[in-house]
Amino acid sequence: MASALVEQLLNGLTIGMVYVLLAAGLSVVFGVMDVINFAHGELFALGAYFGYAVATVDGGGFWAALVVAPLAVAVVGAAIERYTVRPLYGRNPLYHILLTFGLVLVLKDGIELVWGPRPKELSAPAVISGTVEAFGFTYPRYSLFVIGIGAVLAAGTWLALNHTRYGLVIRAGSMDREMVTYLGIDIDRYYTLVFAFGAALAAIAGLVLAPRNGVDPGMGDSVIIPAFVVVVLGGLGSFRGAVVGGLGVGVVQTVMRSYVPVLEGLVVFLLMIGVLLVRPQGLFGDPEFEEAGDLFTASGGVLTDARRRQLGVAVVALLALAPLGSGVLYSPFLLNSLFVTVLTWALFALSLDFVMGYAGLVSLGHVLFYGVGAYVTVLVVMHAVPSVVLALLVGVAICLPLAWVIGQLSIRVAGVYFAMITLGFAELFAQIPNKVTQINALLATPWLPTWLRLPALRGNRGLFGIDPVYGLTGGPGVGAVQVVGGVDLLYYVVLAAVVGSYLLARRLMQAPFGSVLQGIREAEQRAEFVGYDVTAYKRRAFVVSGGLAGLAGGLQALADGGVSTSYLAWIQSGKVIVMTMLGGMGTLYGPMLGAGAFFGVKEFLLPVTEQWQGVLGVLFVLFVIFVPEGLVSIPATVQARFAGGPSGGTPVEEPDPVDREVGD
Amino acid sequence: MSLLEVTDLRAGYGETRVLDGVSLAVDAGEVVTLVGRNGVGKTTTLRAIVGAITPWAGTVRYDGEDVTGLSPEATVARGIGFVPEERRVFPGLTVTENLSLATHGGSDAGRGRSVESVLDTFEPLDERRDATGQHLSGGEQQMLAIARALVADADLLLLDEPTEGLAPLVVEAVADLVRNANETDGITVLLVEQNVATALELADHAYVLDQGRVVYEGTAADLEAATDVVDRHLGVSID
Ligand SMILES: Nc1ncnc2c1ncn2[C@@H]1O[C@H](COP(=O)(O)OP(=O)(O)OP(=O)(O)O)[C@@H](O)[C@H]1O
Ligand SMILES: [Mg+2]
Repeated sequence: MASALVEQLLNGLTIGMVYVLLAAGLSVVFGVMDVINFAHGELFALGAYFGYAVATVDGGGFWAALVVAPLAVAVVGAAIERYTVRPLYGRNPLYHILLTFGLVLVLKDGIELVWGPRPKELSAPAVISGTVEAFGFTYPRYSLFVIGIGAVLAAGTWLALNHTRYGLVIRAGSMDREMVTYLGIDIDRYYTLVFAFGAALAAIAGLVLAPRNGVDPGMGDSVIIPAFVVVVLGGLGSFRGAVVGGLGVGVVQTVMRSYVPVLEGLVVFLLMIGVLLVRPQGLFGDPEFEEAGDLFTASGGVLTDARRRQLGVAVVALLALAPLGSGVLYSPFLLNSLFVTVLTWALFALSLDFVMGYAGLVSLGHVLFYGVGAYVTVLVVMHAVPSVVLALLVGVAICLPLAWVIGQLSIRVAGVYFAMITLGFAELFAQIPNKVTQINALLATPWLPTWLRLPALRGNRGLFGIDPVYGLTGGPGVGAVQVVGGVDLLYYVVLAAVVGSYLLARRLMQAPFGSVLQGIREAEQRAEFVGYDVTAYKRRAFVVSGGLAGLAGGLQALADGGVSTSYLAWIQSGKVIVMTMLGGMGTLYGPMLGAGAFFGVKEFLLPVTEQWQGVLGVLFVLFVIFVPEGLVSIPATVQARFAGGPSGGTPVEEPDPVDREVGD
Repeated sequence: MSLLEVTDLRAGYGETRVLDGVSLAVDAGEVVTLVGRNGVGKTTTLRAIVGAITPWAGTVRYDGEDVTGLSPEATVARGIGFVPEERRVFPGLTVTENLSLATHGGSDAGRGRSVESVLDTFEPLDERRDATGQHLSGGEQQMLAIARALVADADLLLLDEPTEGLAPLVVEAVADLVRNANETDGITVLLVEQNVATALELADHAYVLDQGRVVYEGTAADLEAATDVVDRHLGVSID
């Protein structure tokens, strides 16, 4: 018994140390530079791959790898900071999500290009294999090695932060970056260093974990979310928090796995949500949050409202007439599959824009509503009524109160913490389909009615083979009715739902509700001062948004003929944020264009190159640096360029006549 | 030639213009004050001088050199010290750490005043050298902010409302400190204040700013006598 516990503790500390190494870099980078670095997981993977390369080459070996790989990754990190992150300083951390999301795609594709998709093995050298015995227990040498190296590095980092001039500048920079520059210090130089150092720590983490977990292209994905949880738990920017959080999460996770298996995978998120609800700044975080930095919401630009309306009507008309060309100009597959996907994602992006672009709430958990909407719609069709309309309505009806509850809990925490707490909720829900049996076992108490138990969700295999119908109780089935050219009637259902949702969202934004919301976004304190219940307004927006996201998920599930856990994967939240920013947030239609552009470019690249993800990533990176206001800002930029308008620093003398009223 | 010469400075945020052609000059060894009501652009003037924002037009010359649009790192290295509003001491760093941060590292050691020599002249701070910024009183924070700029080797101090929110006795102490730095160390001072009485007591020269323009310039004594100017541009506004 005792030896089992010791073994688990050691295991927990081993994985915990890896978290510490990952989180230390992530946290310091955030604290100093306000950069949310999703690519940190890929740097971790890169460390393992570089290590693998050095360890397996003639004359190399594990120990050489342990020196070379972190240095090489540090160089990569420095380059990333210098050429992609630096142009974005001073902007809202949101932009870093888009940027580093792009970098994830680039790095992952790069890794696959060089090393292929198959996992590699890297064995530990003999010195750290086997076990040692002491005090009547046996310890695996490998665990001791990881714990030792982690402890040494953590202590070294702590010393460097607290007892060197570099550390002093970095600590000061995380408290007040601007003031540091007023003391004549060129803080940008330090940033490169911090980024490189964080990258090196991540690389070491990847390499020391490799003998145990192997080396594969997905390894970055598997650690980035837990690493973020650790960082948030400990408090963004707090080194101490990263250490305590990392070890804590490692141990709790490992121990829970054997004693309370139902909580496996859930416990870290529960922990994070719990801590944030009690201490919104994390365990060791600074309560005063940072200035948010500039958020570029797009404006109408050069197009007048009337012109924009004409364009919108034209686009809808084209989409409505598109089936006429099917079978002649293109295959019906294009409309039934690609166009439907674009439309549902346009709706999903619209829903996100409603809270992100108008209420300033960056939800990293929006996939929750998308996924729940999808699951509920499918379940209704399977178990209750087969009607498309009713099933979609029930999906939305479930998402509304769900969004209210989650909004109620989450909106009190600000900024990045809001993003993380919503991510936490989404990850909890993402586990449900794989835990139905265990959850039902918990619910199987006499005083709970049986209908409260979860239906079978079949885990990762998902629920497929549904037979939805267009009528209320019967009528023609989906898939059986085709309009011209082999295009499914569902295409029109989706088109109508998306256009209707857009009009509804626009209506709400033009109503007093929308004006107040935008007032809050511009100047939250002023709105509060004037007497608006800011939180209530944000929550209402969140509820509307959740409903629309649920509708998007439901529609996509109907089009796919079922639903699976990928509908709940966090990566979808990342994708929808990317689309929203790509198109131009705060416009409603911009994010919808963004969805079109996203899938359009992907579809274009797919047949051209196997590295389409990498190319897409590069595009994101360039985009966020050069077109921060999104696609919708391009006409205005182009016009300014050609009109030879006011250049550079000369301000426009007259206030811009283009009214910045949004919603069109 | 003046140590600092600002000519026709225009600046703002986004598309809002704040400074509409500000010109002023500060001679070496002088204390010059820039007074004006809330929001007229005093802070913006200082920020444009030090390079925290890039001016739209106009020039800033320091010690004969054109420093318009240089970064704060560059202007500070030339000897301009900026003590911003609200002091901005680093809350989690001790007094000594706040100060040693401002020394110019190893590269130009020997340059500037040492932490110890500055602490010697700032006795109240010397007693609290191990306290962190967040635990200092307002007066102590202000002293630290000024001391920090001195450690960074400023020859010209840009002080933004150093007496704001301080008790009358502490205001006196801070005023003494500024006078002392000016008289014994020969530091030139450009002082932004809302507390006109204290400002005029310290200053040789005064500028009055209103809505982004200099509306009065003269000796401190002249301004004190010019009650109409004081009423119109500095008094409590009625609109
Ligand atoms: N970062 C900023 N972005 C946009 N507007 C700003 C910014 N900082 C100041 N302003 C505006 O510029 C104008 C001038 O501000 P400034 O801070 O220069 O005034 P001030 O004279 O220092 O006022 P105070 O006495 O209140 O410190 C004000 O109307 C203010 O609202
Ligand atoms: Mg001011």
